[in-house]
Amino acid sequence: MKQDFKPNLVGFLCNWCSYAGADLAGSSKLEVKPYLSVIRVICSSRVNSNLVLNAFLWGADGVLIAGCHPGDCHYEKGNYYVRRRFALLKKILETLDLEPDRLQLSWISASEGKRYAEVVNKFAEDITRLGPSAFHTNPNI
Amino acid sequence: MKNPNVLVIGSGVAGMEASLILGEAGQKVYLIERKSLIGGQTIKFEEVYPNMECATCMIAPKQQEILQNENIELFLLSEVEQVKGSVGEFKVKIKKKARYVSLANCIGCGACYEPCPVSLENEFEEGLSKKKAIAVPCPGALPNVPTIDPENCLRLNGKKKECQACKEACMFDAINFSEKDEILDLEVGAILIATGFGLLDVKNLPQYGYRKAKNVYTAMEFERLYAANGPTEGKLVLRDGETPKSIAIIHCVGRSEQGYCSGVCCMYSTKFSHFLKHKIPEAKICEFHTDLCIPGKSHQKFYQKILNQGVDFIRFDDIKVEEKNGKMQVIYKNGNGEKAKFIADMIILSAAMIPGGDTESLAKTIGISLDKKGFFSTQSEKLSPVATAVDGIFVAGCAEGPKDIPGSIAQAEAAAGKILSILR
Amino acid sequence: MNEKIGVYVCECGPNISERIDIDRVLEEISSAEGVKVAKKFGLLCSNDGKNYLADEIKKEELTHLVVAACSPREHEQTFMNVCLEAGLNPYLFQLINIREQCAWMISDKEEATRMAIKYIHAGISRVTLHKPLLKKELDSIPDVLIIGGGISGIEAALCLAGKDRKVYLVEKTELLGGMVKKFSELLPYQGSNLAVIEEKIEQVQNNENVEILTSSEVEDVRGFLGNFEAVIKSKSNGSGTKEIKIGAIIVATGFKLFDPKNTPQFGYGKIENVLDALEFEEMSASGKILLKNGNPPKSVALIHCVGRNEKGYCSKVCCLYSIKFARHLQDKLPGIDVSEFYSDLCLPDKADQDYFEEAKKKGIHFIRADDFELKEKDGKINVEYKAAGGKKDSIAVDMTILAPAMVPSEDTSKLAEILNLPLDETGFFKEVHEMLDPISTPIEGVYVAGCALGPKNIPESIIQSQAASGKILSSLIPGKKIEPEVKVSEIREEFCTGCQTCLSVCFYGAISFDEYKGISVVNEAICRGCGSCVGSCPSGAIRSKHFTYPQLYREVLQALR
Repeated sequence: MKQDFKPNLVGFLCNWCSYAGADLAGSSKLEVKPYLSVIRVICSSRVNSNLVLNAFLWGADGVLIAGCHPGDCHYEKGNYYVRRRFALLKKILETLDLEPDRLQLSWISASEGKRYAEVVNKFAEDITRLGPSAFHTNPNI
Repeated sequence: MKNPNVLVIGSGVAGMEASLILGEAGQKVYLIERKSLIGGQTIKFEEVYPNMECATCMIAPKQQEILQNENIELFLLSEVEQVKGSVGEFKVKIKKKARYVSLANCIGCGACYEPCPVSLENEFEEGLSKKKAIAVPCPGALPNVPTIDPENCLRLNGKKKECQACKEACMFDAINFSEKDEILDLEVGAILIATGFGLLDVKNLPQYGYRKAKNVYTAMEFERLYAANGPTEGKLVLRDGETPKSIAIIHCVGRSEQGYCSGVCCMYSTKFSHFLKHKIPEAKICEFHTDLCIPGKSHQKFYQKILNQGVDFIRFDDIKVEEKNGKMQVIYKNGNGEKAKFIADMIILSAAMIPGGDTESLAKTIGISLDKKGFFSTQSEKLSPVATAVDGIFVAGCAEGPKDIPGSIAQAEAAAGKILSILR
Repeated sequence: MNEKIGVYVCECGPNISERIDIDRVLEEISSAEGVKVAKKFGLLCSNDGKNYLADEIKKEELTHLVVAACSPREHEQTFMNVCLEAGLNPYLFQLINIREQCAWMISDKEEATRMAIKYIHAGISRVTLHKPLLKKELDSIPDVLIIGGGISGIEAALCLAGKDRKVYLVEKTELLGGMVKKFSELLPYQGSNLAVIEEKIEQVQNNENVEILTSSEVEDVRGFLGNFEAVIKSKSNGSGTKEIKIGAIIVATGFKLFDPKNTPQFGYGKIENVLDALEFEEMSASGKILLKNGNPPKSVALIHCVGRNEKGYCSKVCCLYSIKFARHLQDKLPGIDVSEFYSDLCLPDKADQDYFEEAKKKGIHFIRADDFELKEKDGKINVEYKAAGGKKDSIAVDMTILAPAMVPSEDTSKLAEILNLPLDETGFFKEVHEMLDPISTPIEGVYVAGCALGPKNIPESIIQSQAASGKILSSLIPGKKIEPEVKVSEIREEFCTGCQTCLSVCFYGAISFDEYKGISVVNEAICRGCGSCVGSCPSGAIRSKHFTYPQLYREVLQALR
């Protein structure tokens, strides 16, 4: 069953750096596994805890938050806030019987197209290895 | 009635900043750029000191704004041919070289690169990699539209007149071999020179061993080696494929020849050490300098951090690079007068900043004098550090003298301000 | 549900059409709720494409537009303009990226098609929750307040004052001119004499559009770009206060010198004839360079980098002005012996090295040294030092001039609080972006210029003042309205608990606390729309006007279908 398992992944990408990096990965025709749905936000700090936790509760096997490298945030400090929130969220996942590694945070700059592809593919691999989440609802599994 | 339009020459950080300020104020800006892409030298860097911020990410929003601002008309592959008139009513002739690819139709898919049979040295990548005769200089170039090099394209240089491999691959009818160079006439009220800098050609300084010893790099070559979108994608690999274990960075290359300190090299050399230490933690890194010039508020702290990471900073009086038994040696006299040598796998030369482009000919065309060091001269005696001796003509950025990015930006904003005051 | 959503898929030539089964996509999504029409087109960003979209919007009377094409970073603005021109609110639009992040990254056509369908469903689902946001326009006051009457403040005043724009120049002391007025001369390539400074002071005094308020300080500032109110307290007019309305503020409060008493090894304040740089400037300006005993000095030591290690930065100007002093001494007192002690020579401007070389040729000694100890000995000053190489040595001189670090001026912290401006670790004002915005602060409309930002020389201070003026001339035009960001945050009062978390995360100071109601309030004129506050609000009271929680929620739901 695990080989057929196609993880359902959600990614929140900030407009200024990581989304641009993803676009560059695309323009460079880099291959990514088709499991991640990208949702654009203006700044990674916009991603509040509700959104992440609800994503898991609605069946996401993994959630990725991507922002600018520390120091490069277009709004100066946003990525620092999301970093703190991320640490807290990982702890909360444990209480929901979810492996904390299902939530990942990555800093991707606008010129790191290759890195974006690597991060997404590794993320897909990691979650595939973890298997479907406790809340997974995909009937095709 | 003064003509409200402004001519900005150069699309590096200074040219872009001034154009955006003028554009925001409602002035029409003609932005002339010699190359096929905008962004100047900054887009060649991976990181900028002292915060190690991603250079391309930092500047991408400005580049996007330039491309999308309705008040800014961009002329690429263009140079100024003639300037006549005076403040408020300059008449300028621009020579715009043919790109052979339509900026309107091309969507940047890159399908035309692969079929092109010609491979040539990529100037943007400092000769470290090759590109086709139809190409963009680097991934992420803006505008993301290629140019055809007419001297190397087989069809355009006559060697194979029937070749149209690129045109056949293009689905958007964007390639036009019959495009011609154009001469354009523009009328403007003020002119801003923002032609930036280049680095002194170290080939003329044989004591540094450039090109004799293969693993001697100029600072710009190293920047491309370092860059994530560069020829090695940021991997630290020498020309012979090896990873360096001992690296020498030599500051002040060309300083005595040029007669000035460029003000930025100590800091960017330290930036290089930061990167090298991070990539190859066990490498031995030695920075050779005369005087350390680190005047910014946060610069000394950054230098201290690198020093604490185990990078050696050695003061020298005399220095040269020699090849001996296949190894490179830095032979120097230190600050105490003692002779010593350092064996290096890789040597980086931090060379003097010189004015960019063909400054002498531009100065003649515009009618502005150059100072003793070859940079554009400003009315500094009147404490007017952006105005030239000619009313209505201004300079900003490294075209005026070596400086760092914040210095260029401030000067560009100042020049834009001065232009707004005279045109309104 | 009265929506009439138009969904248009761009083929982008072969870029999308070859990698995604667009016909199948259209089939799947045309049955989605609210979709009135679902079509494809060759190249939507072309003129033909844009006209086509505009026609469709009008013909089909669309209430919402969804375009599936390239990245919004590429063409969101393009299509928003199309909506605007066709009479549809541009915020009732969503651009879905099925090119860079779908067609180009997924080689399996089946998977790419599946992903495209998912994304378009998400866009359709989300767009119905978009609100028709409207652009705002605010009146603005073009006048400017400049705090500090030194060379930076004066230059800014001269650049800005005009018949449409009044400038208030507030100076703490009784006189204009700041530090530069105390100098006896400038560096030769900066202007051979101080006349140019005097000229500028006179110009600003004669300018009828500049109101000069000396012996005055700023007590309070409120407001935002285009609409600030400031309270100026005058120490002369019987301590009256004056309220002014301005559109922008430039802080140009300059610097003071590090007190060498903090580095006792230099004997400042203890040994006679040990002066700091400003004291020497005043002495040479007076025309008489004399020791305490009334005689002219026959030997002088100039010590650079005083306080450099303590402060942790190089002050950039001291090497040069020390050389200026040395040459001045030689001019005024021929035969004098001058030695300069330094750690690293900082000569960053293009003309500096020549200036230094000439000084060397004139017989001024340059000695690299540290570890100083100054003692009084036989009526002279004995300067003990360790030279490069470690050798200890000493020299006896009549006079010593110290070059202390430049530090922020007296009232920097107080002013920072009044204006809500951050200071960096060195205590100087912190610029919003060290690289790209070296004179702006996080408070839009408030700029800093000159040494208030950090050590620099006169031409650089002037450039920064001109730069701040340039930014103001461009953004604060008399008669022109200000258009603040549209996609801002807003707070629902009934849910706000008054925890002020949002206030603490807002980098731009766009949120204030209403003490009376006990809730936080967003100033929409300042908000940049980043959403940091929305992300951190524990009660969900604060929300974005665009990229709202329900909108993102719908995108997530569709992603997990």
